[in-house]
Amino acid sequence: MANPGGGAVWNGDLHNHRKESRSLQGGNCPKNGILKEAQQNGKPHFYDKPIVESFEEAPLHVMVFTYLGYGLGTLFGYFRDFLRNSGIEKCNAAVEREEQKDFVPLYQNFENFYTRNLYMRIRDNWNRPICSAPAALFDVMERVSDDYNWTFRFTGRIIKDVINMGSYNFLGLAASYDESMKTVKDVLEKYGLGVASTRHEMGSLDKHKELENLVAKFLNVEAAMVFGMGFATNSMNIPALVGKGCLILSDELNHASLVLGARLSGATIRIFKHNNMQSLEKLLRDAVIYGQPRIRRAWKKILILVEGIYSMEGSIVNLPQIVALKKKYKAYLYIDEAHSVGSVGPTGRGVVEFFGLDPRDVDVFMGTFTKSFGASGGYIAGRKDLVDYLRVHSHSAAYATSMSPPIAEQIIRSMKLIMGLDGTTQGLQRVRQLAKNTRYFRQRLNEMGFIIYGNEESPVVPLLLYMPAKVAAFARHLLNRKIGVVVVGFPATPLAEARARFCVSAAHTREMLDTVLENLDEMGDLLQLKYSRHKKSARPELYDETSFELDD
Amino acid sequence: MAAAAEQWVLVEMVQALYEAPAYHLILEGILILWIIRLLFSKTYKLQERSDLTVKEKEELIEEWQPEPLVPPVPAGHPALNYNIVSGPPSHNIVVNGKKCVNFASFNFLGLLDNPRVKAAALASLRKYGVGTCGPRGFYGTFDVHLDLEDRLAKFMQTEEAIIYSYGFATIASAIPAYSKRGDIVFVDRAACFAIQKGLQASRSDIQLFKHNDMADLERLLKEQEIEDQKVKLKYKYKARIFLEESLSFGVLGEHGRGVTEHFGIRIDDIDLISANMENSLASIGGFCCGRSFVIDHQRLSGQGYCFSASLPPLLAAAAIEALNIMEENPAIFSVLKEKCKRIHKALQGISGLKVVGEPFSPALHLQLQESTGSREDDVKLLQEIVDHCMQRSIALTQARYLEKEEKCPPPPSIRVVVTVEQTDEELERAARTIKEAAQAVLL
Repeated sequence: MANPGGGAVWNGDLHNHRKESRSLQGGNCPKNGILKEAQQNGKPHFYDKPIVESFEEAPLHVMVFTYLGYGLGTLFGYFRDFLRNSGIEKCNAAVEREEQKDFVPLYQNFENFYTRNLYMRIRDNWNRPICSAPAALFDVMERVSDDYNWTFRFTGRIIKDVINMGSYNFLGLAASYDESMKTVKDVLEKYGLGVASTRHEMGSLDKHKELENLVAKFLNVEAAMVFGMGFATNSMNIPALVGKGCLILSDELNHASLVLGARLSGATIRIFKHNNMQSLEKLLRDAVIYGQPRIRRAWKKILILVEGIYSMEGSIVNLPQIVALKKKYKAYLYIDEAHSVGSVGPTGRGVVEFFGLDPRDVDVFMGTFTKSFGASGGYIAGRKDLVDYLRVHSHSAAYATSMSPPIAEQIIRSMKLIMGLDGTTQGLQRVRQLAKNTRYFRQRLNEMGFIIYGNEESPVVPLLLYMPAKVAAFARHLLNRKIGVVVVGFPATPLAEARARFCVSAAHTREMLDTVLENLDEMGDLLQLKYSRHKKSARPELYDETSFELDD
Repeated sequence: MAAAAEQWVLVEMVQALYEAPAYHLILEGILILWIIRLLFSKTYKLQERSDLTVKEKEELIEEWQPEPLVPPVPAGHPALNYNIVSGPPSHNIVVNGKKCVNFASFNFLGLLDNPRVKAAALASLRKYGVGTCGPRGFYGTFDVHLDLEDRLAKFMQTEEAIIYSYGFATIASAIPAYSKRGDIVFVDRAACFAIQKGLQASRSDIQLFKHNDMADLERLLKEQEIEDQKVKLKYKYKARIFLEESLSFGVLGEHGRGVTEHFGIRIDDIDLISANMENSLASIGGFCCGRSFVIDHQRLSGQGYCFSASLPPLLAAAAIEALNIMEENPAIFSVLKEKCKRIHKALQGISGLKVVGEPFSPALHLQLQESTGSREDDVKLLQEIVDHCMQRSIALTQARYLEKEEKCPPPPSIRVVVTVEQTDEELERAARTIKEAAQAVLL
């Protein structure tokens, strides 16, 4: 059950998620004195709504059954492996060539155990091919397997008009061609598709310059630089910013690209608990006071790596507190807004706008164009000296092909739409519609009694399923009812916390959401998924939810 | 009865005490006192952590100054003043406002400008829009991707192919998927940066052998064999071969299948061939092909495949069309080879510059015959030659590297790229211009 999308890299521990309902009022943080000072920053438009994030724990019997399920699956796996090895059962997996049988094995067998025996049984729920644009309704190609998912064949039929709850199409800008995309067509005809050269050599087009200026304007920063792939933006630029002798403080659930970039840089990496400011503060204090381990010299730089919205949890980073901490301890902040740019904030500019903070407080803005802009690629933005430095030293600028011109044009077009520069208010409407849809969807799911993780404003909605069999049943049943969902399991999530992840889009109409919700209701009853022990009613809260923070 | 037994034992003990030798009692007494002392003495830690008061800690926090996030970059650095290309980066290119003939982009088969490729991409744009909005695992797999993978596998005559959305990420994700800590990789010294990054991410043991020197490679393999005591070089030493063919795919070989076809090697003997689609196929992205046993593993462990959005369908459609064109007229490969040989010959004998590269390679380097001693000055001199040529409408570029990051940085050079679209007359003109520029600058 691999294939995480904006997946979190799992570090091998079991996560104990407790219900954390945090409220961030002006300065009454109930914790120790240090944190209280760190919070006051006197900004006029400080985010003063309570942050409501919840990570409810499942009832005990659910966890027991989940582990039982995995245990049974593993036992059967060993049994089947035995049958296959002893030749009683035919092995369907591809095997090494005869001539190379005595070579060192190419990849680890144990990694493969999980793939062969557990993932293979339900792998028809992933890699589903589609044959239309990934809009709110899309067409899925029907495929069946005659040998229990070892191979697939296409029947040739297409399941039309499936409601898309899986693609990252937050603002609904991914759609098949219409007249508003005329500029993309023109650029394609004029410039062609490829560039065949790097930024340093002959691959810098005027389109890239135009796009970079627009991105800087969009984010309200001094300068920006764009790259051809979002994943590569992280893995190739973090090594350019930090190196040996620097410290990286990275969130537990950071994306694989951030982890890879941090590892490639050669800096020391320390992990703090997910969105936990006490853990981060402790690490910062220790780092500044005690310096590098063993040699005791001060760190050259400290870089905090966080994401705007975490795609597997649906939580939003606690940015005001991080900015306060960073200012106190003079660290640098790198924020990966892959999911949050374009989807949160009153005008869609990302988490900085969502919290009402000053863009100058964040040192490095990074984001991708895949999710809200319907294109592909990534950017890094910030102060001019930062971007100049990256222009010279980024691995991508020197060795990788630059962005394709029609893609750049699509981003320009989408960004202008969101900013309102095309003369309409369509962009703003889309952002508002997304916020409305998000709130409605989350509220209804909570009422029904499902366990939903994450911040109530985040358009990424994980719904917990826990048991491996339910994961498969959920996805298959919903596809039969013409709803396409994404389910994720190990290793993208902790072993016992498999989930379905919905991505709400501005293109979803109220009817579509209602259809989905009805079907989810039925599925919840059929598969017994309504684990939540908090009875929620449709009426608004009539009492003040005080905050209480559980100690680790 | 029990009490009596206890009492009796106690009496025995007291008696033993009286009868024990003196030194024994004294030793025991000292030991007991020592234990009591240890129990009640203050434990000390290895570091003087508890010695810093809160006030001192706050002072340390106040005083600490980190380095600036980025060191300042001199304004005149060449990378800050890119050559800006306005318009399509194809055969006739407009660089910094001047029309030139393009000898710098890797557009080997001239497909950047091809109307059929553009039409295929346009059809795909109409149907699918631009982005895929998801990685391959989550509804990001389009029928176009599956088509492209099929076509590439058939073209290269392998079992399976897998495509990535970025050329650099292809080999950089493929290597760590197979090679982990504890494995050993033998790499050519002149391997490109993407390979170096892939090796760094894999945390394996790296052994470098001299560029293209098989004797050196054999020596390294022998040493490793002696170390391992384990029992043509691959089958003899039981190593696997990964081949990176970004520049040779679509160039070498009768049908453009690359180095394996050029040398007549069976493609089954190579475990993995990786190439990017950004040079000959004039699209964006990359692919790996090989046997299913090898390639299938990447579908779950290739980081750039699982964790990244898939290739936009219009780029995949363009690549399919480019493949079609390649299959339909295999004659272009011999035409390209001719042109390469011609320019290789024409550029020989320029005073001050030497030609580095094989005669049939479509990209060759011109290095300074005698270096000035400092890399920076070499770069400046070469840049003057390039500027000279640009003024005369020949677009050239220096081969750019990140000197500090490369394991073995190659010497500075000008890269000349040959494409099918360049006419013989343009090739002659280019050779002449470079000769004149070299004479003007270096003498």
